[in-house]
Amino acid sequence: MSNEPMTTKADDAIITVRNLSKYFDDFEALRDITLDVKRSEVLCLIGPSGSGKSTLLRCLNFLEQYDGGEVHLDGELIGWKDISHNPRKPLSSEALRKQRQHIGMVFQHFHLWPHMSALDNVAEALMSVRKLTKKEAREKAMTALTKVHLEDKAQNYPANLSGGQQQRVAIARAIAMEPRVMLFDEPTSALDPELVGEVLSVMKDLAAEGMTMVVVTHEMGFAAHVADRVAFLDSGRLVTCVPPQEMFGREPDDARVRSFLQTYRERNVV
Amino acid sequence: METELFVRYGPALLYGFGITILCWLVGSIGGVIVGFLLACLNRWGPRFIGWVIYAYVEVIRGTPFMIQLFILYYGGPYIGLLLTPVQAGIISFIIYGSPYFAEIFRSGFNAIPKGQIEAARCVGLPESRILWRIILPQMLVPITAPLTNFFIILTKETAILSVVTVPELLFQTQTMAAETFTFVEPFLVLSLFYWLMVVVTGWIGARVEQRVTRHLKRA
Repeated sequence: MSNEPMTTKADDAIITVRNLSKYFDDFEALRDITLDVKRSEVLCLIGPSGSGKSTLLRCLNFLEQYDGGEVHLDGELIGWKDISHNPRKPLSSEALRKQRQHIGMVFQHFHLWPHMSALDNVAEALMSVRKLTKKEAREKAMTALTKVHLEDKAQNYPANLSGGQQQRVAIARAIAMEPRVMLFDEPTSALDPELVGEVLSVMKDLAAEGMTMVVVTHEMGFAAHVADRVAFLDSGRLVTCVPPQEMFGREPDDARVRSFLQTYRERNVV
Repeated sequence: METELFVRYGPALLYGFGITILCWLVGSIGGVIVGFLLACLNRWGPRFIGWVIYAYVEVIRGTPFMIQLFILYYGGPYIGLLLTPVQAGIISFIIYGSPYFAEIFRSGFNAIPKGQIEAARCVGLPESRILWRIILPQMLVPITAPLTNFFIILTKETAILSVVTVPELLFQTQTMAAETFTFVEPFLVLSLFYWLMVVVTGWIGARVEQRVTRHLKRA
């Protein structure tokens, strides 16, 4: 681990984002984003709604096709086969599938498959992607469920789980694939307040184990206490990316950051 | 009721019932398969195929089944398509049913939340596996009732096959009525046969629906 958190060594980065831009028709969702995520780092993306946080996150695993710039995971260009030509050529769905196996994703609304038990939700990709036998897959899925403290709910259908439990199953589904990075898209925004803690605590455990995590969140407490760095986005632009002490500890220089954080300060969150 | 009449015509009626069931089952299952393929092509195929399918659905849904049957059976020979009445009946049933089934499947595809498919792609599931394991089992929930409905409607559409001399139930019943000058009894029996098909179909549909909605029940 580097002793100089402020400098970015290129070989230290697992995800590199260079000059990323993304349009929805005429709307510029992301402009010229350049950002590194270091190995084992927890990076939180914050900012007002519509600022492009989720879009940026979804570009990292090509759920959104970015239009300009590059995203690399361990040096491998994500999503595009060829960017030297215009228009760009996307990878085949087979090649994209291979890349995505290394990128875990957790959604705001969980997106569990409601017709499968918690265990089968986790085991599905282990069987059909990792090609484990049903027995091996279920054992491995059970280990992942144990990690999120849901071993006793393995046979439940999602309809019989609380929101917090469903989100933890979704986390188990992603980590069972042993991804190199985990992406979280507002993982607690759809939860009742009393269920937020159990999900954040599982995420903290993951971070402590050294998982590289990119987290879009409105939980400033989580960002302040768990993140290694916090990136602030506004109108599709990366305003600043600094350690949380700098983001939350003192009066921010940037007016947009100041006014955004002010709303949280008023509620004594940070 | 002259029971002796039914002893005499019983075999013919049962034969007709058999032909009806044959045309209905093969025709509508064929319709389901073709309809499903159309819906898949419409969803995943190139755009111009979507337009072709759209035109097909509009034309077939916009014309009466009897006319389609006539054109196939009497018009077929002009282009070298010589079919027996039963063959024509089954094929026209497939042609007639498939657009309705395709529309039912299309609505089923649309009922699956996009996020679930994204989640499946994120763990690297192949598209074929997503269709088989994520989309299909869940779309059975919204489509079982309309599918059952349409199967039921088709049971009675088989009667139209009699106009091209398919020896099905109505054809046999009409023969019996004409030869014996009895009308009420044969047609009551005919209705009973259709009712039997409808009841069994409805029962199967209800069982399937129970099975595919299991996961939605809260413990």
